[in-house]
Amino acid sequence: MVLSFFRKGSTGLDHVVAKSVAMLGDARHSFDLATLALLTGTDPDIVSADIRETDQRINRAEQELRSELVVHVSVQGGSDIGSVLGLTLLLKKIERIGDQAKNILDLAENGISLAGATNIATLSEDRQIASALFGEAAELLGEADPDDAAIDDFTKRALTIVAAHQAEINQFMTSDRPGREVVPLAIYYRYLKRIIANLVGIVRTASEPIPLMDYLDDGATDTDD
Amino acid sequence: MPGVARSALVVGLIYIFLVGVSSLEAGIKIMGADTQERLFSAVTNPIAGLAVGILGTVLVQSSSASTSVIVGLVASGALGVDQAVPMVMGANIGTTVTNTLVSLGHVRQSNEFRRAFAAATVHDFFNVLSVAIFLPVELAFGTISSIAKWATERLVGTSGTEWKSPVKAWVKEPVGWLADFWGQVGAAGNLQGTLMVATGLAIILLALTFITKNMRSLVADRVERSVNAVLGKGGGAVAMLLGLVITVAVQSSSITTSILIPLCAAGVLSLRNAFPVTLGANVGTTITALLASLAAASPNSLIVALTHTTFNILGILAIYVLPFLRNLPILGAEALANVAVKQRSWAVAYVLVAFIILPLTGVALLR
Repeated sequence: MVLSFFRKGSTGLDHVVAKSVAMLGDARHSFDLATLALLTGTDPDIVSADIRETDQRINRAEQELRSELVVHVSVQGGSDIGSVLGLTLLLKKIERIGDQAKNILDLAENGISLAGATNIATLSEDRQIASALFGEAAELLGEADPDDAAIDDFTKRALTIVAAHQAEINQFMTSDRPGREVVPLAIYYRYLKRIIANLVGIVRTASEPIPLMDYLDDGATDTDD
Repeated sequence: MPGVARSALVVGLIYIFLVGVSSLEAGIKIMGADTQERLFSAVTNPIAGLAVGILGTVLVQSSSASTSVIVGLVASGALGVDQAVPMVMGANIGTTVTNTLVSLGHVRQSNEFRRAFAAATVHDFFNVLSVAIFLPVELAFGTISSIAKWATERLVGTSGTEWKSPVKAWVKEPVGWLADFWGQVGAAGNLQGTLMVATGLAIILLALTFITKNMRSLVADRVERSVNAVLGKGGGAVAMLLGLVITVAVQSSSITTSILIPLCAAGVLSLRNAFPVTLGANVGTTITALLASLAAASPNSLIVALTHTTFNILGILAIYVLPFLRNLPILGAEALANVAVKQRSWAVAYVLVAFIILPLTGVALLR
């Protein structure tokens, strides 16, 4: 371990970003498995252990990286404080996504299955879109100097999806259909919406000034609602 | 600045530092024997010497600087090994003031302050305990200096003879220029010696400041990486080795121990994990005095520098290796931190009493 002093390797914030990308990969893995259980009727017990183990891994990584950020500030001084604060928020968002994936699994473990839902085709399509957004977010996060236009494009598309999901939730809340049909759908879309909003937050961490993080339009719009 | 240029700058600064040590030695030699006697008679009492070591180090906030000055004084013959050893031990205690001051920055938040203050004062408790054990042993039997003498004889020959240090030859010329400069200005005798000493002191302090600053920039990434690798994962020996490596690299134990304070305050590093790092820093910081002794003609200066190293290694062997004694500095630091959290003014009082009032009283009463 002391030999690491004499070896070359990624240091400081670069290392934290690289590990964050890996955490996001883990979060996507959990999301894919949890939605598989909920939307396809796969036995939740088959994926449960994997999702919980992945969640533990994400939590451990968050704790380790928080410590590394404190070490960074202690050793290098406060010049990177903005990035450090941004990364702290980013790590929390990834950890939340892991939790939300677990929440989707909880639905399946409570006996809910959306495999027979009338809108299963839309649900599956929304799942694919959300999963693809994880990949795009990881790519943008991993870039040393991401293109502002790419970040704006991602934000625009993701927030459109978030708005569409909120519209679905509103419809379910006023639907005449039985509660046992629409309540799970509303809860699932709520999780999906939160996950995508967190992905927006993750991607915008690199470009937003700290005070405006999670806000758009100079602070007027809260993307994290 | 590119890394290669900064490395070259550090090499140049080390050379300037050695010129400073040699200039100090030359300045003292220029002064007459009477002046030397008057100046250093105050530290014939070992407790006064210990107090001078603490005060001098608190003043310059660097045991590397103060021990290098002591080495220079020993090289000039103005200070004997017996007088220098308690001063070096005092320097060990005095250097802990820096991280204690850093810990006071966390005073607003109780839990944070408790952890930070304990992490800072565990170093104080260890060093005081170490002095409490080894100063009497040294005074009674000369054990530590005997070990250092034995090592010196193996390295450069018999004590008391002139040692043909190649480094001394390299720095001879610029030291001669300094002496000539003050001579041309019109200074002679004691005045010329005093000006040479002042110049030497200024060079030592400035060079060390810049060496530390540049080395910190050069190795910051490595320090960060290795601290992350060791954090809470390695055992005491690994942490100690890390403290030693970082301190040798940045030439300052204060920097190493001060890095630990915010880590402990934030709860990233526990007191028990930070403790061995400070002990490694104690040993690592002795490298500067060893370096300074290379610019000196007398083997006695190397004896004093090696005494510093031996004292710190023996301290670890006696206190850290024995589980019962190992807990004493930790328990002391935790108890003091609990008191300081309840009454913040006690923390300030502790710094003033331990690092200024007690040493000043020691010098005033025992000189």
